[in-house]
Amino acid sequence: MTVDRFAANTFARRGVPLIDGIEKVTGRARYTADLDHADALVGRILRSPVSHGDIVRLDVSKARALPGVVAVITGEDCPHTYGVLPVAMNEYPLARDRVRYRGEPIAAVAAIDAETAEHALSLIELEINKLPAYYTSEEARVPGATLLHDNKPGNLEREVHHEFGDWREGFATADLVREESISCAEINHAQIEPHACLMDYDPLTGRLTVQSVSQVGYYLHLMLARCLDMDTSRIRVIKPFIGGGFGARVEPLNFEIVTALLARAAAGKVLMKLSREETFITHRARPQTDIKLRLGMCRDGRITACACEVVQRGGAYAGYGIITILYAGALLQGLYDIPAIKYDGYRVYANLPPCGAMRGHGGVNTRHAFECLMDRMARDLGLDPFAVRRANLLHAPTRTLNDLMVNSYGLAECLDRVEKASGWRDRIGKLPDGKGLGMACSHYVSGAAKPIHWTGEPHAVVNVRLDFDGGITALTGAAEIGQGSSTMVAIAVSETLGVALDRVTVVAGDSAVTPKDNGAYSSRITFMVGNAAIDAARRLKAILTEAAARKLEARPEDVEAAGEVFRVGSGEQSSLPFADVVKAALVDRGAITVSGSFTCPPEAQGGKHKGGAVGSTMGFSYAAQVVEVSVDDATGMVTVDKVWTALDCGHAINPLAVEGQVQGSVWMGMGQALCEETRYLDGLPAHGSFLEYRMPTIAESPPIEVHIVESHDPYGPFGAKEASEGALAGFPPALVNAIANAIGIDLNEIPVTPDRVMDALIARRRQARLAETVRAAS
Amino acid sequence: MTTLLTGLRLANPNSVEEAIAACRDRPGSRFVAGGTDLLVNMRHGLSATEQLIDLSGIDELTMIATNGGGVTIGAGVTVAALARSPGIAAQYRALAEAAAGVAGPGHRNMATVGGNLCQDTRCIYYNQSEWWRNANSFCLKHRGEICHVAPQGKRCHAAYSGDLAPALLVLGAAIEIAGPQGRRTIPLSELYVEDGLAHLALAEGELILAIQLPPAPPPSAYTKVRVRGAIDFPLAGVAVALATADAKVASLQIALTGTNSRPFVVAGTQDFAGRAVDEYLLKEIERLVQKQAQPMRTTIASANYRRVAAAALARRLTARLFAESAV
Repeated sequence: MTVDRFAANTFARRGVPLIDGIEKVTGRARYTADLDHADALVGRILRSPVSHGDIVRLDVSKARALPGVVAVITGEDCPHTYGVLPVAMNEYPLARDRVRYRGEPIAAVAAIDAETAEHALSLIELEINKLPAYYTSEEARVPGATLLHDNKPGNLEREVHHEFGDWREGFATADLVREESISCAEINHAQIEPHACLMDYDPLTGRLTVQSVSQVGYYLHLMLARCLDMDTSRIRVIKPFIGGGFGARVEPLNFEIVTALLARAAAGKVLMKLSREETFITHRARPQTDIKLRLGMCRDGRITACACEVVQRGGAYAGYGIITILYAGALLQGLYDIPAIKYDGYRVYANLPPCGAMRGHGGVNTRHAFECLMDRMARDLGLDPFAVRRANLLHAPTRTLNDLMVNSYGLAECLDRVEKASGWRDRIGKLPDGKGLGMACSHYVSGAAKPIHWTGEPHAVVNVRLDFDGGITALTGAAEIGQGSSTMVAIAVSETLGVALDRVTVVAGDSAVTPKDNGAYSSRITFMVGNAAIDAARRLKAILTEAAARKLEARPEDVEAAGEVFRVGSGEQSSLPFADVVKAALVDRGAITVSGSFTCPPEAQGGKHKGGAVGSTMGFSYAAQVVEVSVDDATGMVTVDKVWTALDCGHAINPLAVEGQVQGSVWMGMGQALCEETRYLDGLPAHGSFLEYRMPTIAESPPIEVHIVESHDPYGPFGAKEASEGALAGFPPALVNAIANAIGIDLNEIPVTPDRVMDALIARRRQARLAETVRAAS
Repeated sequence: MTTLLTGLRLANPNSVEEAIAACRDRPGSRFVAGGTDLLVNMRHGLSATEQLIDLSGIDELTMIATNGGGVTIGAGVTVAALARSPGIAAQYRALAEAAAGVAGPGHRNMATVGGNLCQDTRCIYYNQSEWWRNANSFCLKHRGEICHVAPQGKRCHAAYSGDLAPALLVLGAAIEIAGPQGRRTIPLSELYVEDGLAHLALAEGELILAIQLPPAPPPSAYTKVRVRGAIDFPLAGVAVALATADAKVASLQIALTGTNSRPFVVAGTQDFAGRAVDEYLLKEIERLVQKQAQPMRTTIASANYRRVAAAALARRLTARLFAESAV
């Protein structure tokens, strides 16, 4: 097969395979655990066997004396806390004095091989005075409960109380007010690659070279410098191939800091590979959430007011918790036109692994409750679920009550597309017993408009270089983690310059060569790094155009570049191939490096109220989906038969990648809705394997029909917005709504495992029997 | 936190006699075939042994043979081969359905019939890492004093969850066993004991050679519930064999897996002979199964769910087989 070099540029409607795809499918890609670790020591971590307690004795002398052991470290070796939010760093890489969850790292060993390292762990003597442990938000909040953190009364990490508009008036004027209590189990990212890192400390130069699975090399860099008391310039952070993140790695993780400490203590190279169970214990995923939601609605479906109370069981440490509880409230807005909102959020400490950010961060569980309740109220009012959504649409450009910018809004078209594709109007209400259709909407930010660290720097910087070989190299700190960010950068650069895609090489994630990037989270990369890449490419293009104009003896504004040819008008005589343009451009100045950047203006950075920056973004993606299910009322088994999804991503820079990301987010939403949950037995994870943590297999995976809607965002790169998270949150409510349609039961708990469905069916049968008895008696 | 497998010997016998001798030479050896159950447990620090005896080189164990209308299935036949066998699917449908539903394709390609029958019992307090079980003071099944599922009791409640056993039970299978004392044949039902700690009635050094299925079996079927349609062990699995005569029950056999520490044939179905398969009978079947299935808290899914689902499946399969018999 011959490949047309320019065929790759016809992606406009079809898209291109990811530029690092070949390396992955051929097995050439080197993930962290595959890196050369021939001369590396093996690291192992001793973890707390108890949920809560004071360390009264920790004796590592026998472990240290074991032949083959090179270093043993404990909490004594690091007096610094770490964390992702500057205001909430309350965790030590290795516990000091107190342990707060089963599995918390206490000590670590570097040895010549795994057997020796494990033997050394068994020689460590540990004594812990147990304290009361709490595994639910309710227990942890009981007055008088032992505090996990002395400065956090009531075991509350953060309370949020926000009021926008006159919600009392809104409820008073509603034709229907309904309240539901809905809970969502804790889940985990379950990325396929277990955590691993390779830390290389050179005692002669005092430099640390870091290779890890991080989505946020920059934050990791900062935390390593802090915890090791090192100058940031002596640390180099390199990102190998990464086998998925989904938020699992958007904060520096304890094992990364522990391994760096070990490497320095051992004066060498240490490889740390966590087991699947340890990867689950490291956690940082979506918290168990209890939601009490009340909506007011007019007869025509318009929402008059919303009151929402959210309680998140956040685990033992702060992590991203403050952001998560703020997102849960902020993202009530931005999807529909809601005149008044009251939000009360509680982030609770409990003796479990710390929660964190996960795809759809903060918004998924409240969106689930909202879309379920909206459907039930539509039913009460005799309205179609689509009609209720259409009654509450926003009109862009606008600002929400909490001062979030909505610059483009394709939700109406998303609704039209899935309504038509699913045959909704002809099929709803006409399916046989046990079969149902449900729908829901969702949205997500295209990058947080206010960064975590306020440095005054741009939100993203991309460097583009060009040398004698005519190769264009885009340098970005943006972490390619399988989502296609490097391919997006390559397309942005090649499209802007009018050159073949394969002329562009992307180097991503090496602090020694790539400009700093905040990382792969909050779906920021396409919007921010994409804009920065376009900016850099434009700067290079200006240089090339000027050089071409000199050669062609024309004015730069008359020169056009496309298909690797720079030309004036249409004449053969007045065109110059790319190679000649490069030669001309390099005269006198030599190799060229340009820098492009992107910054969100202050007016995009959210409201002035406390926590108002969370949820702020330059562009929201929008999604609608329809889910078709079958429910077996003898076994409680739910089967997803088909999914239709439409996503407004502004403009699909790479439609193939967009489709993949939408399918991925729908599928992840399906996992949360259908079968995934973390379960603890007295704080021990009962889900610590891919057997017990039940991600859907291909056997559960329905056909997912993806419709791309393009609303052409005024600020997005080529009009693009995010495409990787927005479609997730709609799945769980669409599924639960479809189950209600199929069997007439409203489920208030997810995942809808067969035992939960069966309990609901049994409860209904019991009620029916009771009703019959009453009728018979009366 | 994975346990390293170091210092392990591997014996590769070419005959049953050599295998038994290898075991006699090193007491405490374990037979291994596909390893899909045993190796996972060993990685968790369970089923520790100094020597594994690999049975995959013994040709005698890998045949499916028909004899006098019946079938003999070598213990070393893979679950995938069993699922693919047209002869099995035609006559012993429950067995083919059970085989096709075992775990995932990768497991079925490696796992063997004998290994599936000898699968260890399972429990959320047992199938965990060494660190996990140590933090939980271990359990009655391994190194511990109490059963966390029923702390007041004296026995282990880990559940047997192999798929093939219930299908073979309703089809009246017998098994050939070889050991230091020679060879013997017993009904499959006698292989199992209602004790999660020691659920197999095999003596040290004994291994299953083959499964014998009688000729002219009644129509049969197998189904199960599990959260996912692949990989997961059954929360409850049910096999039914139903012979009919004149639109009435001639004989009905129901066997369960996933609910108790052993797979077992539900007692009392002989009373249904001569009855029509109607709503009354189906309700009685449900009640019978609900009474005899004794799931405990060995899975994350509730015990009650497994009981109710087992009964619903028994009812469904009986009704389906009856409907098919009328065609």
